[in-house]
Amino acid sequence: MADVVPSPIGILTQVRAVAGLRWRILRNGLRKEANRLDLLGLILVGVFSGLFVLGLCVVFFAGAYAVLSEGRFGWFGLLFWGIFLFWQLFPIFAAGFGPSFEFRSMLRFPLNLTAFYVIGLAYGLADFSAVASVCWLTSMTLGVAAARPAVLPAMLSVVALFLLLNVTLERLLGSWLERLLSRRRTRELFFALFILAMVSLNLIEPTMRHYGGLLRPLAQRVVPYFAWFPPSLAGRAIAAAAEAHFGWLALGSAGLLLYAAVFSVLLWRRFASQYRGEELSETAAPAPAAARALRQAEDSSDRLSALSPQVAAVVRKEFRYLTRNSFSFFTLIMPPVMVLIFGTMFAGKHPTSEHSVSPELLFPGIMAYLVLILMGPAYNCFAFEGRGIQTYFMAPLRFRDVFLGKNLMLLAVLGVETVLSLVMLAWLLGLPSLPVFLATMAAIVFAVIGQLSIANWSSVTFPRKLEFGQMRGQRQSGMAVLMAFAAQFVFGGVSAVVLFSGRWTGNRWLPAEAFSVLAVAAVGGYFASLDALSRVAEEKKEGLIEALCR
Amino acid sequence: MPEIAIRTQKLTRRFGNLTAVDGIDLQVAAGQFFGFLGPNGAGKSTTIKMLTGLLAPTAGSMDLLGLDFAAHPVEVKRQIGVVPEGMGLLERLTGSEYLQFVGRMYGLDRTTTQRRANELLDFMQLADRPKTLIADYSHGMQKKLALAAAVIHGPRILFLDEPFEGVDALAAGALKALLGRMTERGTTIFLTSHVLEIVERLCSHVAIIHKGRLVAQGSLDELRAGISGEAGSKTTLEQVFLSIVGQDGTERPRLEELSWLM
Repeated sequence: MADVVPSPIGILTQVRAVAGLRWRILRNGLRKEANRLDLLGLILVGVFSGLFVLGLCVVFFAGAYAVLSEGRFGWFGLLFWGIFLFWQLFPIFAAGFGPSFEFRSMLRFPLNLTAFYVIGLAYGLADFSAVASVCWLTSMTLGVAAARPAVLPAMLSVVALFLLLNVTLERLLGSWLERLLSRRRTRELFFALFILAMVSLNLIEPTMRHYGGLLRPLAQRVVPYFAWFPPSLAGRAIAAAAEAHFGWLALGSAGLLLYAAVFSVLLWRRFASQYRGEELSETAAPAPAAARALRQAEDSSDRLSALSPQVAAVVRKEFRYLTRNSFSFFTLIMPPVMVLIFGTMFAGKHPTSEHSVSPELLFPGIMAYLVLILMGPAYNCFAFEGRGIQTYFMAPLRFRDVFLGKNLMLLAVLGVETVLSLVMLAWLLGLPSLPVFLATMAAIVFAVIGQLSIANWSSVTFPRKLEFGQMRGQRQSGMAVLMAFAAQFVFGGVSAVVLFSGRWTGNRWLPAEAFSVLAVAAVGGYFASLDALSRVAEEKKEGLIEALCR
Repeated sequence: MPEIAIRTQKLTRRFGNLTAVDGIDLQVAAGQFFGFLGPNGAGKSTTIKMLTGLLAPTAGSMDLLGLDFAAHPVEVKRQIGVVPEGMGLLERLTGSEYLQFVGRMYGLDRTTTQRRANELLDFMQLADRPKTLIADYSHGMQKKLALAAAVIHGPRILFLDEPFEGVDALAAGALKALLGRMTERGTTIFLTSHVLEIVERLCSHVAIIHKGRLVAQGSLDELRAGISGEAGSKTTLEQVFLSIVGQDGTERPRLEELSWLM
């Protein structure tokens, strides 16, 4: 028998142990030579993020100070609304940048549900949005202390409640979203609703133009209800404290407490499900339907017969991965939606200049946006292969076939999205003149094909594994992001100069001619680079396999 | 003189200051069921990775089926199948999709790939869940699928890294029968396993690697005779293994140190 029985340890000890673990994972990860370059990328991102947070710290300090010293207490709620929206929405849109750590793996240890809950909540405070929001809340508190020291105790208690309800709500929303997106049906429904919502945004402006007069009274009736939302409650509580209306301060604080309690109960239930071993992966479909699908595949002719078997196999695999990866699918859907939104926004008068935006400018601009967004993932194109990367090195092929397959799939996606955007723009704005149209098309070929060689090199040189279909706990390769940024900056700059050269010289066909030459050179360079990149992949295969098989 | 399927000369792999594989000279005849043994960290997986093209040797050479691997990597890979450490599956494909992908990567035409994939899925008893993603397979199912993928192109040499780990007894029996048939038809099987009973039952020849060096190589009978000093000895492979690997004076774990556990 063991002579010492492990005694139950406190939650704080476990939280400390987990914090230490996260720190060691980060530190040990950076000890590898290849990851030091990654560190460089992280530092740059950190500097920009720091500047952003610090800048807004000044704004929130000044805002809180001005509101209190000038007696405009009603504006206090707006400051809380800004922080609230950032805290809740930013993690959804920037889920890919968090540290890579599977929180649920903690369940193998003897944690009770309370400890699991507290650790989960503590994790929420480590998110960028939470850290930034805490900084801004601290700035507001300092602003309050400077303007009206007497309000400070009330401010501290309100901020504490506001912080608790925000961190709880953020974890709750993230947990719900993860659960929602883990099943294909709900994922499809979610994206359909998302697109519908995005498209509906476009209707706001024309609806307001036509029915603004009718909607105004309705809006005036609805707006007061926002007063019962947490940011408004927090604002009203501080305003009440400044005006010495302690009843209202108590009411606002009680409201915040109630919100925090409700969110806590809901989050407790979610974490309890996870604690009991909730399984979030896809479930198997009934066999008969699948058997039918298999026969169909057998009967269908090979639509990719023009390609070599290896390239065709990679294209098919890429297509399947694309359709099954909710996060990739999300980035795929966004560009046409944004094109639709931009198109609708600028189809009429420009909101600031009162002039229509010319398709001559908007068309190349929107196409550049499309290329910018869709080329990003190409710089770490093996991210989702996992251990499957070994298949490419075990199979009897030259690695150029893998690049070709992956690049072809990307080009197909880009082609479809370009045509889709083209149709939307033609419908909303009309097409630009032929010289600009042709110049833009050639510029797309130049920018995309030109970047592919760099992206392929980046993918084998700075690989980072990303977990398939997950939104949280994913971090891109820092160097791959930098490479993408630098390459897109260079290609974008060259393209802009060439496009404007037509205006400067008065020769409208010059950009089209120049881009045609550049496009041909890019295509030639791409094919010339494939063999060299195959050799690079062979040289770097150990690092690639190691990075993706973790 | 039998045809040689695998021959290495002074095969070496270093990771910084660590020499994981130290100048080994392996020789495996075609059609042999060859067991490659060694304690943890001895260099087994590193050797297999080099022999299958997943890792480049620091020094030395490898010939597979008479072809120099470094000079003809694609031709060699076309004739070998591998179940690597960690299995190397693309987990977001279904079993059928993965087999079709692998078949096409090895250059099989689509109809042949489809037919073989269906037959292999049936044989491995994986056909009843055609829409299940590999990520949702059990460990044993993944192992069977990895083996199916390794043989879909009919390889002449099959490399198996712990192929029976996590596979139930029923499936393991079927797999052993399949591997036995393959060796009868001339396929060379190169297998690593920590379960010495399996190696003893399946393999005709064995090599033992320890601290990166090849410390024994030969038929099972030759190794047994080398230990007991007589032919036809009843010495088990485990005794042979412990005798060879335990000779270097490495201190064995002492149970007394874990008195708190007992």
